[in-house]
Amino acid sequence: MTKVIAAQNLTKSFGETIAVNNVTLSVEKGSLFGLLGPNGSGKTTMIKMLTGQFRPTSGSATVLDLDVVQNPVRVRELVGIIPEQETPPSFLTSIEYLHFVGAVRKIPDIDEKAAWWFDFLDFKDKRDILCKDLSRGTRQKLMFAQAFLHNPTLALIDEPLINFDPIMQRTVKDFLIGYVRKGNTVFISTHILEIAEEICSEFAILHKGNLIHTGTVAEITTKNQHLEEFFLSEVKSSAYV
Amino acid sequence: MFELFTAMVKEEWRIHSTIFGSLSFALFPVMIFGIAFMGSFLLPLFRTVLPAGSLAIILHALFVLLGIMVGGFGLVGMEAMNRRFGQASLLAYSARSLPLSETMIFANFVVKDTVYYFILWVFPFVAGFFLASPFIGIGLYLPFLLLLTLTLAFLTGLSAVFFLSTVYSRSKALFALIFALVLIPWGAISLYTNVNAVVLFPPLLLFNSFSWMTLLATGLLIAVPFCISIILFSSEYTDTTKRYKNILTPLTRKLSFFPYPSLAAKDLVDLRRSGAGIGQTIFSFFIPLGLLWVLLSVLAPFLPAGGLYILFAILTGVISSTMYTWITAFDTFGAYACLPVSVSTLLTSKISTFAVMQLVPVVLIAFVTTATGAVAWLLPSIVLCLAVSFYTLAVTVWLTGLSPSVLVYDAKVLVRYLLVVGIVLIVLIILSFLNPYYAFTSVLLGIPAWYLLRRGYRIWEARDQTGF
Repeated sequence: MTKVIAAQNLTKSFGETIAVNNVTLSVEKGSLFGLLGPNGSGKTTMIKMLTGQFRPTSGSATVLDLDVVQNPVRVRELVGIIPEQETPPSFLTSIEYLHFVGAVRKIPDIDEKAAWWFDFLDFKDKRDILCKDLSRGTRQKLMFAQAFLHNPTLALIDEPLINFDPIMQRTVKDFLIGYVRKGNTVFISTHILEIAEEICSEFAILHKGNLIHTGTVAEITTKNQHLEEFFLSEVKSSAYV
Repeated sequence: MFELFTAMVKEEWRIHSTIFGSLSFALFPVMIFGIAFMGSFLLPLFRTVLPAGSLAIILHALFVLLGIMVGGFGLVGMEAMNRRFGQASLLAYSARSLPLSETMIFANFVVKDTVYYFILWVFPFVAGFFLASPFIGIGLYLPFLLLLTLTLAFLTGLSAVFFLSTVYSRSKALFALIFALVLIPWGAISLYTNVNAVVLFPPLLLFNSFSWMTLLATGLLIAVPFCISIILFSSEYTDTTKRYKNILTPLTRKLSFFPYPSLAAKDLVDLRRSGAGIGQTIFSFFIPLGLLWVLLSVLAPFLPAGGLYILFAILTGVISSTMYTWITAFDTFGAYACLPVSVSTLLTSKISTFAVMQLVPVVLIAFVTTATGAVAWLLPSIVLCLAVSFYTLAVTVWLTGLSPSVLVYDAKVLVRYLLVVGIVLIVLIILSFLNPYYAFTSVLLGIPAWYLLRRGYRIWEARDQTGF
């Protein structure tokens, strides 16, 4: 199997706070990988390092065989990213934002592609509304669309479903499962364990910046255990509590 | 709602101290105090070249400008803060979940701004002067009077901008009418009488000749516009359903000569739709420069030939450089973090947009020199203005990257900015006063500007992009 993400002893400190501590993990091509952890466990910092937004304090990482410190822009060119908090630019309309992303990424036939996403995520009626006036859910739809406009082989998504209603959650979960079946890879970070159990093939648990477990979801479910129970027992028994 | 007010003050302090570190930000008023204290010892020297009345005009004009700038930031501040910190993270927004009207929240916001910037700027400045006054033979009465009149000058600028921006958002025609009603009589007095209209500015009138009636009139001049703007205030976040035509795509095509057309087009769309393009041009460019022109005209008799145009061009250059803050106010790098855009690319794009915006000061200087029959000063003035503007921009990029309006409140950054810009300005002024053709030497500023920009690119590219 080909590794699309490989982190080696990755550490990130902010002053005296160690947000991510010596994490080594790899993600295989074609997997739907879930990075799980409580709030403040370092999941977002991990994604920011993997997409070249933060420089690691020590350690190294490659994404699609590119060193994230040496080639951060090239990494972002190849992958799709949905950040947890960043919102689209306030004074562009939804359609303008997708055109903007299309122009920056040099995506051909942007009109058709944007129209497909407006239809698929059911927010066609919001295409001419300024991003600042969109609801959180609609903003997340827009951010979702921008991340997949260029058909990346790898998508990194921070809290993918947090603002979606149950109907949209189903749509997006099915999309992600289908996307991975086509041979692509999705890396999500979440603390919603039901979602991880339902869609992820592999997962890792991050707690207080430390990697405390990696494995497959099947390993847990074949023991008639739920991911939630496993997660709680791992976190509670972790030496880093 | 004292609780809301104190919470807003704490919040403002914590935002600044989180960004710069508590010590750096706490040092800011100390630095203002130090500058005022040491600058006071130069007063006897200034008095030999400038009458005391002119010094008072300069000082009051500076504090009106400060009020205008703080208020001017309020024009785009809501949106800028929203972009930087997220919608739910400020009391100005979260207080809406409490049983409080928007008018009440805005009133607290205005009072908080007033108290906060008084403590940050006005009080330390006068305190520095107060402590120096016994050493330079000035009675204790003057600093106290100055504390009052400078505070009033600051508040006049603040309330005028709040008032005008509120009126502007309601009716552009009414805004133009009010503007004309103030400016036409002011201009008529200046042109057709021997009265220097500047001294009719109430806080200055109060400084020159204290009376309770003038104090009352000045208080009303500040309080009435404040109250009207609080009553008329309407949050921009209430209109949620307006639809807009796609102007970005055609604009991107039109800007194909830019290094990054889509980024430049986005900047221009931001400026247009936020209202900041027109608002900032009026409140942060034309009004301050209009005041500066009036101020420099007062000083003209004490300046060498052409000194008025040289100083105006240099100061226009400095103020023009702040246009960089207009095009960075709505952006954080975080907004581009999911795209293949580097910090250098973004900086280059902003600088290209900035370069096009420099047409505004060029047109202004062309207008001023031709309208006053000083065409001979047109070319040196434009060269000086652009050289200063681009050099100051380079310093700004080097020191603050994409966050100039936030990082300027870091005392260490401000001191470096003042030194690196100030020294160059003094040298340029002296050279241009010696011989106006020396103004052309300002093009040499391109060399340090290029070096500082390259250095800035390296510094900001190497930093983690945390959102501001």
